[in-house]
Amino acid sequence: MITRRTLAGLALALAFPHGSPHAWAQTAQPRAGGKLVWAVETEPTTLNPQLNGQDKTKLYLRNVYESLLARTADGGYVPWLATSHQVSGDGTAYTFTLRDDVTFSDGRRLDADAVVLNFTRLKDPAYSGGISVGPVARLAQARALDAHTVEFKLDRLYAPFLDFAASLEILSPGAYGSPQLKSGGPDIAGTGPFILVRYARGQEIRFVRNPAYRWVPATAGHQGPAYLEEVTYRFLPESSVRTGALTSGQVDVIEGVSGNDAGLFKGSTQFSYATALNTGTPYSLFWNTTYGPTQEPAVRRALNAAIDVDAVLKAVYRGQRTRAWGITSPIDPQFYDRSIEGSIAFDPQRANRLLDEAGWAARDAAGFRTKDGKRLSVEVVQAQATVRDQRDVLLQALQAQARQNAGIDLTIAYVDTGTYADRRASGRFGAIANSNTPTDAIDIENHYLPLDRGGALNYSRAAAPELLAWLQEAAGTLDPKARFDLYARLQRFAITDQAYALPLYEPEDQVAASTAVHGIGFRPFKQLPESAHDIWIEPRT
Amino acid sequence: MSDAALLEPAIAAPARHGRMLRQVAGRVASGLVVLWAAVTLGFVSLQLAPGDIVSLLIGEQPRTPAVEAAIRAEWGLGDPVAVQYLRYLWRVLHGDFGRSYILQTDVSGLIASQIWPTAKLTAAALGVAIVFAVLSAVTTAGRSWARRVAGSVELVLASTPSFWLGIVLLFVFSFTLKLLPVAGDRTLSALVLPALSLGLALGAVVGQVLREGLERALEEPFALTVRSWGTTGLVLRVRHGLRHAALPAVTLTGWLVGHLLSGAVITEQVFGRPGLGRVTVEAVLGQDLPVVLAVAILSAAVFVVTSTAVDILSLLLDPRLRRDRS
Repeated sequence: MITRRTLAGLALALAFPHGSPHAWAQTAQPRAGGKLVWAVETEPTTLNPQLNGQDKTKLYLRNVYESLLARTADGGYVPWLATSHQVSGDGTAYTFTLRDDVTFSDGRRLDADAVVLNFTRLKDPAYSGGISVGPVARLAQARALDAHTVEFKLDRLYAPFLDFAASLEILSPGAYGSPQLKSGGPDIAGTGPFILVRYARGQEIRFVRNPAYRWVPATAGHQGPAYLEEVTYRFLPESSVRTGALTSGQVDVIEGVSGNDAGLFKGSTQFSYATALNTGTPYSLFWNTTYGPTQEPAVRRALNAAIDVDAVLKAVYRGQRTRAWGITSPIDPQFYDRSIEGSIAFDPQRANRLLDEAGWAARDAAGFRTKDGKRLSVEVVQAQATVRDQRDVLLQALQAQARQNAGIDLTIAYVDTGTYADRRASGRFGAIANSNTPTDAIDIENHYLPLDRGGALNYSRAAAPELLAWLQEAAGTLDPKARFDLYARLQRFAITDQAYALPLYEPEDQVAASTAVHGIGFRPFKQLPESAHDIWIEPRT
Repeated sequence: MSDAALLEPAIAAPARHGRMLRQVAGRVASGLVVLWAAVTLGFVSLQLAPGDIVSLLIGEQPRTPAVEAAIRAEWGLGDPVAVQYLRYLWRVLHGDFGRSYILQTDVSGLIASQIWPTAKLTAAALGVAIVFAVLSAVTTAGRSWARRVAGSVELVLASTPSFWLGIVLLFVFSFTLKLLPVAGDRTLSALVLPALSLGLALGAVVGQVLREGLERALEEPFALTVRSWGTTGLVLRVRHGLRHAALPAVTLTGWLVGHLLSGAVITEQVFGRPGLGRVTVEAVLGQDLPVVLAVAILSAAVFVVTSTAVDILSLLLDPRLRRDRS
């Protein structure tokens, strides 16, 4: 007992009182000043926004790095660093006119040469690796027509190019001579409302207001510099710890709230809670069409019919996640064909009939179906690095469903990045589960172009000639209606007819904050949390 | 007394000195061999690890020969493995551990920036462990009721996952009582909860060993002699008993320091602290080989240093060992 008392005394002696509960004054008007602390889940691999593929880091990178055009909720484009843009009649030349009053935080001016440099350097694989083969590869020539006009020429029409060119984060030309170029950091200046001052790995990243800032897009909540004097993002990888940090007043805002904790903030008078669905491909199980039992369309269709996705989502996420049906996000205003919804019916009888007909009629001692003495076994390969959002629990629930409803042995292998790369390259896996967020059908191309034609995320290894034909036709026209129809056909073919994938749910961002914090929002169209430009906090009394 | 007799110590002292130096030199040499073996084994096992480095670096991006060539050129992967090994060894000798594949930063700088928070955490946890173990052993050894209670507390602490203990400590002291900050490494107060959650389990294990040793020492004849001088129980336990009991506990602590380093991984994650643990986990998951190798070499160095320190400490604690060696 002495031991316990001594320890408690030790802890108290070392403790410093850490702030009293905050009382907030009520003011309706936005107020400049103040410091905000925001707890986030994901630490950046690199702070160079052009090389960083982690969507969860964009909410703070966007404080510093901006692009030529901003998007509106319906997918339209409005001026930002560029005041206007034109597309030539044949769709192969894009001209952007730049604002003439923009400076990077290192003092350099934003001009046509700076923009050209950003695009041409991205084409260099020594700088950008595989990104150089992405949409920027379509760019044949970038040149400055005058100090504030840039022209991009493509070999041939590529409809998603505008989405890419409009959203590329523009770095200061000074960045390209910096040793920090690839890792990113305070040396890599941008034009945004905040300036990156300090990154302490494992701890926090801090930004201060850019007083010279006055070039917000029309989509922003207010003109002029940001309200906040300083904003710090602290890395707290555990979701329960983030929740506790917010409820105890140690941080002002958190990102990434688990389904269990959402109830604490929803309908609370002390906290605000907001969510936004991601864009792009839902979290889906992609069945491998070139290896194992899922080569047979009947087995893939049976798998899609055997799993009660609604029930699983309800059980795992307490109803806090949105069921997905198609090849892109339900909130995509351009290319989501809603008629796909409900097309994958949970129908265990059909699943069993399909399998019986396909010759998987016998059962082994454990109750799994077999054919020619081999068990109907499908191995789901999940990279350990992308297990988040209780996806491990979700996969286990799917496993139980496949076994109970149709006698299918769904095994799950959590693998390190090296093994994952190996399995992907060799094609020796039953299924891969993943999601991604690019818009303007770039995600559809990534998932359904042939592997050797740019289908970097073609997990189902689908190679039906229709897919390539539709995707090329859709990328080769600027007519939104024609593109919509082609992607809708592809969606029906891929999900309903061929059962390449079983869409599960659309990932989302969740933000909870003290009610003293105002102006938190999500970007129109892209839906990721918006920069801190419009955020202000009521004074503490 | 003859002149020769007077001279004897003067001759003997340098001789003993030389022997000590030889011993120390032998120790340093064998430590260096261990380090070289760690570098080599690390390098070899990473060559054998699954996944081709080029595919790894391309990730989920389209793959073309131009991209592959650029990556090979950038990271010197085109050279034969033996050349890569020798080049690596040469660089390590100069303190250059290369550049991280994933973070794109200099590994030496990365490790240097993360080693201090981890050192602070493990030192504080070690302090917690030693204080807990000594207090628990000294106050409860040989007292049937108290030792049973302390034993159960230690059993619970030793078997509690530090992850869970950390969350519980945070919930009580940070979220509810608001006494201590949740995370980070900015103030001394931020070190308290992580050190407790990491150190208590270690302290519990060491405490059990220490108590047993202490009880055995208290039953020895010398304890009776000391008591007969009229010495108080506490002085007997602390001044005489503890010294006897400490040897196995010191050996165990040295061995457990390695476990502190691995436990730091989880503690750093829960408390949002910077540190080597988190960097290592991320590097292993992402197969960021230069970082993994550097951490492996560093851990080997820590083990070499601690085991040497434990040996020296044993010499100081137990005069019999000193006599035997000289």
